[in-house]
Amino acid sequence: MISVQGVSKTYGRFGGRVQALDGVALEVARGETLGLIGPNGAGKTTLLSCLLGFLRPDRGTITVDGRAPDDLAVRARTGYLPERLGFDRELPGRAFLAFHWRLAGGARDRTKSEVEAAAERVGLEREALSRPLRGYSRGMLQRIGLAQALLGDPTILFLDEPASGTDPRGVSIVRERILEAKSRGATIVLNSHQLAEVEKVCDRVVFLESGRVAKTETLRGESPTRRRGLLRVPAVRLAEAAAALSGEAFTPRTQPDGSMKFVVGSDEDMARAIRAVALAGVPIYEARTSAELEELFSAAAGE
Amino acid sequence: MARRFLRQKFGSPGLVAALGVLALIGTLGLARRGANGFSIANWAIFVLAAGSVSRDVSSGALQMILSRPIRRTQYLFGRYVGILVAFALFLAFTSLLAFVVVHLGAPGAAAEVSPARLARLAGETFLSGAFPAAILLFFSTFLPGIADLLGLLILYIVLRLPAASGSALARAAEAARENILPDVSWSEAWTGRGAALAAAGRWVFALTVYLALATVVFSRRELPYGND
Repeated sequence: MISVQGVSKTYGRFGGRVQALDGVALEVARGETLGLIGPNGAGKTTLLSCLLGFLRPDRGTITVDGRAPDDLAVRARTGYLPERLGFDRELPGRAFLAFHWRLAGGARDRTKSEVEAAAERVGLEREALSRPLRGYSRGMLQRIGLAQALLGDPTILFLDEPASGTDPRGVSIVRERILEAKSRGATIVLNSHQLAEVEKVCDRVVFLESGRVAKTETLRGESPTRRRGLLRVPAVRLAEAAAALSGEAFTPRTQPDGSMKFVVGSDEDMARAIRAVALAGVPIYEARTSAELEELFSAAAGE
Repeated sequence: MARRFLRQKFGSPGLVAALGVLALIGTLGLARRGANGFSIANWAIFVLAAGSVSRDVSSGALQMILSRPIRRTQYLFGRYVGILVAFALFLAFTSLLAFVVVHLGAPGAAAEVSPARLARLAGETFLSGAFPAAILLFFSTFLPGIADLLGLLILYIVLRLPAASGSALARAAEAARENILPDVSWSEAWTGRGAALAAAGRWVFALTVYLALATVVFSRRELPYGND
C-alpha cells in the first residue's frame, strides 16, 4: 500500500517560493489504480516525484508497503514512465531497453527475448529498435518509455501522462497495457489529462488543485461515489423523458441535443431510468453510465 | 552504467566529430612539435566529462534510472569510470593514429613517437585528465547543463589570479592551489623524485576529496522533474 500523510513541498527560495503540495494525504491500496487529475501546476508531477523519492517532502511522510519510497526493495518492484521524454537520445531502442532490463535485475540471457517482447507489447516494430532514440517520433518515444516501465512486470507503476502525444492506436495500447498490469495485481498511480482514459482504467481519482486534494471520487468497486447516467432521446421528446425520470426520483439535467445526465447509484438505478423512459413511449437513442470526469474537473476547478 | 556512458558519447555524431578533430590536431601536433604537441589531447576530457550528470537530470534519464534498484553512488561512479574509459579509448586511438601518421608521413619525427614513448605520453595525459574529470563530475552533480565547465574555469581563475598578481594573497593562494589543483609532473613522479611524488600524493588526496564531495552532494540532491 502507498501511504501519503500530510505531505507538503515548497520550491524556490526567498521571495520566489511556490507551494507545490500543501498537506496532501491519500492512500493507494495494493492492486488499486489511482488517477491523479487536476489543472496544470496543481502539483501532480511533484507528488509523483515525491512518491518515487526524487523529492523530499518538507513535511509529512510517504511510505510504500511500509518502506521509504527510495528503498531499493521498493524500487526493485517499481516501473516509472516520466512525462517528458528527452532521455538517452544517442542509444538505439534495443540498447535502451536492454539497459533498463538489466537495471531492473533481469537475467542477462533473457535480455534479447524480453526486449523484443516488451517492444512488441507496445506495438514497436523490431526494425525501430535498431535506430537511435533521437530518430523516434513523440509517439514512438512514449511507446518505448512505456515498454521500459513495464519491463520485469513491476507491481508498482507510476505513469506520468502515458498516452500524451500518441495516436489513437497508441492510446488504446497504453490502455491495454495498464489494464493488463492491473489484472495481474499491480498498484498503479496514473497522472493524466486524458480524462476519458483515466475513467476507463482507474478505480479512484484524486483531484489535485493548488497542491491540495480538492476531491476524491471512487469510480469502481463496492460503492462508487461518482456515476452518471446518460440517456439521449429525440430533442422534441426531451420534456416527456425528463418528466418520466423525475417520476422515478432522478434529477436530470437536460441538453438541447436531447441528452440528459443524472446521478445513478448502481446499474439497477440505470436500468430503472431506462425502463421509465421506455414505458413513457420515448425512443432511446443512447444509454450509458459514465463518471463524467470532465464535469468533475470543471466543477472542482471552479469553471 | 559505464557502458551506457560510452554508448551515449560515441553514439553522438557531433561529439565523435569533435573528438576526431582533437585526435587529428594531437597527431599533427605530435608530428610537428613532439611531445608538447600532444597536450591538445587533454581537451578531450572536457568534451567527454562536461554535463555528465546534469544532462541526465534535465533529460529525465536519471530519474528513470533511479526508479530502478540502483544506488546513486553506483550511478555516479559508473559515470566517472565511463569518462575515464572513454578518455582512455580516445588516447589509445590518438596514439595509434599518431604512430601511423608519423611513421608514414614524417619519419623524421619517428623517434619522438616510438610505441614506448607514446604509451608513456598517453598514460601521463590520462592521469592529467582524470583530475579535471573528477572536478567536472562534482560540479555536474549540482550545476545545470554544462555550467560545470564554467565552474571549473572559475576555480582555475580564482586560484591562479592572486598568485599571478604577486599580491600579499599570492602565497596563500599558491598553497591553496597546490592542494586544490595540484600540478603533477608525471614524468618526474615515475622516476620517484621527492617533490613530484609529494605532488602526486596531493593529487590523489584532492581527487578523492572531489569524488567524495560529488557523492555527498549527489546523494542529497533532489531531482525535480516535469512541468507541475
